[in-house]
Amino acid sequence: MAYLFETKQMTVGYNGVPLIRNVEIRLEKGHILTLIGPNGAGKSTILKSIAKYLKTVYGTAYISGESVAEMSNRRLARQMAVVLTQKMKTELMTCREIVETGRYPYTGRLGILAPEDHRQVREAMEQVHVWDLRHRDFMHISDGQRQRVMLARAICQQPQIIVLDEPSSFLDIRYKLELLDALRDMAREKGISVIMSLHELDLAQRVSDEVMCVKGEYITHYGTPDTIFKKELIHQLYGLTEGGYNPYFGSLEMRRPTGEPRVFVIAGGGTGMEVYRSLQRSQTPFITGILHENDIDCQVAWDLASEVVAERAFCSISDASYQQAEEALRRCPEVINCLTAYGEINGRNRDLLEAASAMGCRIRQAAVVAR
Amino acid sequence: MKRTRVLALFLALMLLTVLPGCGKTAENVPASGLGNGTEPVSHMELQYARQFSVDEYADGCRLITVQDDGRYLVVPEGVTAPKGISSDIVVLQRPLQNVYLAATAVMSLIDSLGVLDGIGLSGTQADKWYNDNAREAMEEGRIRFAGKYSEPDYEMILSAGCPLAIESTMIYHKPEVREKLESLGVPVFVERSGRETSPLGRTEWIKVYGVLFDKEEEAQQLFDQQAAMMEEAEKDEPTGKTVAFFYISSSGSAVVRKSGDYVAKMIQLAGGTYIFSDLGEEDSSASTTAMDMETFYQKAKDADVVIYNATIAGELDSVATLVARNPLLAEFKAVKEGNVWCSDQNIYQETMQLGSMVLELHCLLTTDDPAGTQLHYFYHLK
Amino acid sequence: METEAKSRCARRIVVLAVMILALLALIAANINLGSVRISLSEMTRILTGRAADATAADIVWKIRMPRLLAAVLLGGALSLSGFLLQTFFNNPIAGPYILGISSGAKLTVALMMVLVLGSGRTMGSGWMIVSAFVGAMLSMGFVLLISTRVNRASMLIVSGVMVGYICSAVTDFVVTFADDASIVNLHNWSRGSFSGISWGDIRVMTWVVLMTSVLVFLLSKPIGAYQMGESYAQNMGVNIGAFRVELVLLSSILSACVTAFAGPVSFVGIAVPYIVKSLLKTARPLWVIPVCFLGGAIFCLGCDLIARTVFSPMELSISSVTAVFGAPVVIGIMLKKRRGR
Repeated sequence: MAYLFETKQMTVGYNGVPLIRNVEIRLEKGHILTLIGPNGAGKSTILKSIAKYLKTVYGTAYISGESVAEMSNRRLARQMAVVLTQKMKTELMTCREIVETGRYPYTGRLGILAPEDHRQVREAMEQVHVWDLRHRDFMHISDGQRQRVMLARAICQQPQIIVLDEPSSFLDIRYKLELLDALRDMAREKGISVIMSLHELDLAQRVSDEVMCVKGEYITHYGTPDTIFKKELIHQLYGLTEGGYNPYFGSLEMRRPTGEPRVFVIAGGGTGMEVYRSLQRSQTPFITGILHENDIDCQVAWDLASEVVAERAFCSISDASYQQAEEALRRCPEVINCLTAYGEINGRNRDLLEAASAMGCRIRQAAVVAR
Repeated sequence: MKRTRVLALFLALMLLTVLPGCGKTAENVPASGLGNGTEPVSHMELQYARQFSVDEYADGCRLITVQDDGRYLVVPEGVTAPKGISSDIVVLQRPLQNVYLAATAVMSLIDSLGVLDGIGLSGTQADKWYNDNAREAMEEGRIRFAGKYSEPDYEMILSAGCPLAIESTMIYHKPEVREKLESLGVPVFVERSGRETSPLGRTEWIKVYGVLFDKEEEAQQLFDQQAAMMEEAEKDEPTGKTVAFFYISSSGSAVVRKSGDYVAKMIQLAGGTYIFSDLGEEDSSASTTAMDMETFYQKAKDADVVIYNATIAGELDSVATLVARNPLLAEFKAVKEGNVWCSDQNIYQETMQLGSMVLELHCLLTTDDPAGTQLHYFYHLK
Repeated sequence: METEAKSRCARRIVVLAVMILALLALIAANINLGSVRISLSEMTRILTGRAADATAADIVWKIRMPRLLAAVLLGGALSLSGFLLQTFFNNPIAGPYILGISSGAKLTVALMMVLVLGSGRTMGSGWMIVSAFVGAMLSMGFVLLISTRVNRASMLIVSGVMVGYICSAVTDFVVTFADDASIVNLHNWSRGSFSGISWGDIRVMTWVVLMTSVLVFLLSKPIGAYQMGESYAQNMGVNIGAFRVELVLLSSILSACVTAFAGPVSFVGIAVPYIVKSLLKTARPLWVIPVCFLGGAIFCLGCDLIARTVFSPMELSISSVTAVFGAPVVIGIMLKKRRGR
């Protein structure tokens, strides 16, 4: 299959010293590739090498079969556009003028824009919702707006591929979503491919078609999000020792409390999460049950609880699980009950509660918080 | 890149056009003769001066040739200039009026000739003149200040109808000023008396101004007077006393005259011995040289007489002020024995009085009572 | 066009018109004023070739006209040179002499004075001009050479400062062998002056300055891209290496030309581009380049008028006057920078 963008045996580094070897990227038209990995691993190095800011130590990239190294800067300008993280300092330029510079490869000797160029500029700005800002001074708008203007500029260049280096790092969640949505739209509607690096794993998981893990001298993992965003892989990639990563949501939990558990939390169906987290904040070790394996509480509990009593998904609580829970109960002087409703499959939790009171545990009912 | 190559080519082209484009180079070696076949009737007799020569022609015209510079044909009043002369000769028709004088040394010569009226514009301001007549003339408005030599007021000069600009050799550092004046039709005469090696040679330049302003006989007389005074000073045996003539510059070094300089010669003529007998090359244009204090101290500490040159560095009022310039001076024999003199600021301007100055130097060297000797050009420092 | 864009365009046209009028007024004033009074009616007669008084005509044509044309051309050149370097370094207080050009020119002029004049020979003004120009370009060449080794723009400033210091040190060394006359004249040269410009000089100046300015104007597009920063400019297709050399070369030719004919004239290159951009409220090269040239011409013409008339017949050095007007502007820029942080 013909790839829009590929790298063949590309080795990148500074001053001829290789940092990452044999980078092999195969990107189709309209796909988004995200690079993830720890700080300093070399994500920016790869991106800079692709965008020709850095000479590759070996190998090169190809756009539609043409070698980037052999392309003139002017030809490359029509193929590839960039959005960088660095803080820009412009003087007296309006947002519109910034976006207009994107038409550089298409305008004549003096850079005067034709009606077609103006149309492109307007379209790009409207696509990322910055058309209203067009007369404002670029330095006087927020970071989020600036990033979108830069994206509009990149779109204006009518490239086949856009390279972005941590484009959402400075943005709040609204603008993060807007930016990535815009990227996704662009990729889908205009068939522009995107290569970018992201720190936000949750977003990378959602927006990417392919993900590349950058750590060490060779690329160890490169594939679709479902193959990459796995607990052990992420833990190993980022060297996580504290806390845990949840691949289902791409969310993170903080450090598990250590020591002998003193609290038993009866929960299920999402009622226990807040209690778990508050116990985590006070670093109180706890046991929780009886949960079902497909329960949201279970996801969080696996990262935070010292012990989890879990039943198989969709099944009523078995005797074995109940026994386990009761034994655990004996070790805990305190009990927090989060449940208010009992159904068919978790009814035995009510029995558990009664057993707890019979044992003389101190019982507390968790406050019900409406969501 | 193609564009850079075009740029480099453009730059090279530009340099090629700049080179011949602007200004003129001065012609250094004047030819001889008028160029129209006429031969001079006689040559002016010069006893000491080497930097100029004057040829006299039948109809009263005089051709002044300035060494390494230009030629000027002075045509008397009522006479028409001869035809067919070389293009490098500048024709000056007498009487000359409203001349722009930017060479301070010339004023005393002109004043002694009594032709101050010929000067209309000055390159020095009124209060900077030592010559009283000059100062008075400026204060009364008969001579106007027209900007110093490096930045003359061309408009004033042009509108005054100035026929000649007399400049010192400083103008060589500002060739564009000379070229501009000449392009405006104002010829420039560079007076090179400062390059004369003998003091009487400097004074002999009065003959040039005598030619320019039709006072040749008076010029000869004045010169003879000074020559006589000089001879009187030479009559006595050399005193054998060594003399140091210097000043301390702002950077702390001692600036002394070179051995061939006219001041050194004056000291010689007055019967003294200038401490440096082998200093400096004859043909270079600078008449002074700077020397670090240690070397100077070594050579000059045993000088019998010290004369401090106040022309540049400003007058002193006592030996203490002198020693303040550099404490080493306190160790000098002349300082310890009280034989310290200071030259007045006007000795540079009073070129006409070089003979009198030599006489005074002679007095200074032979007097038994330095403290009680009153001189015009030098004063004793206590 | 929408109203916002229309009002901005109108503003720029007004600024341009006012500046053209100011230039014409200053030209007229410069022809009129001087140590010799020339009435307005006489002035019009002289300009149309029906002069009554030959001397007055000479004064206007041979003295005032070349001088004011020099101020116009060289003022424009300085202003453009400053603008180019400010764009290049993305720093509003970069000036034409930041790369040490005036030190290089001073060195060669000192050498000429000491070696040629010191040995008793004379030379024409053309040689002084050429030597100043060559000195300026040589020091620029050195700076470029050093900077090709290192690929950052900030290294250029460091090299420029270093070359400037080295040239000054060598000049001081040369000056120890100079006589007082040379020292005084070198000092005067380095204060700058428009006095004594001839029509021959004007011919050369016009050619050099106008051609270079046109080339600068043709570079508007990459300059505009460069205003976004080097990385983006490169991505848009600008050949950064060649462009840098071109910018430095063009800027140096302009300021070397000024230094050669009039000595170093300071503050014009820093203050004028800033004022122009503030008036036009834009940094677009297509507008800024021509208006900067105009602004520099006006500034220099005004300052030269003051320099030669205020204490007539004594002349102030042009740098003193430009400093009086330019220094407050530079201080203003620096204060604004701090507040903006």
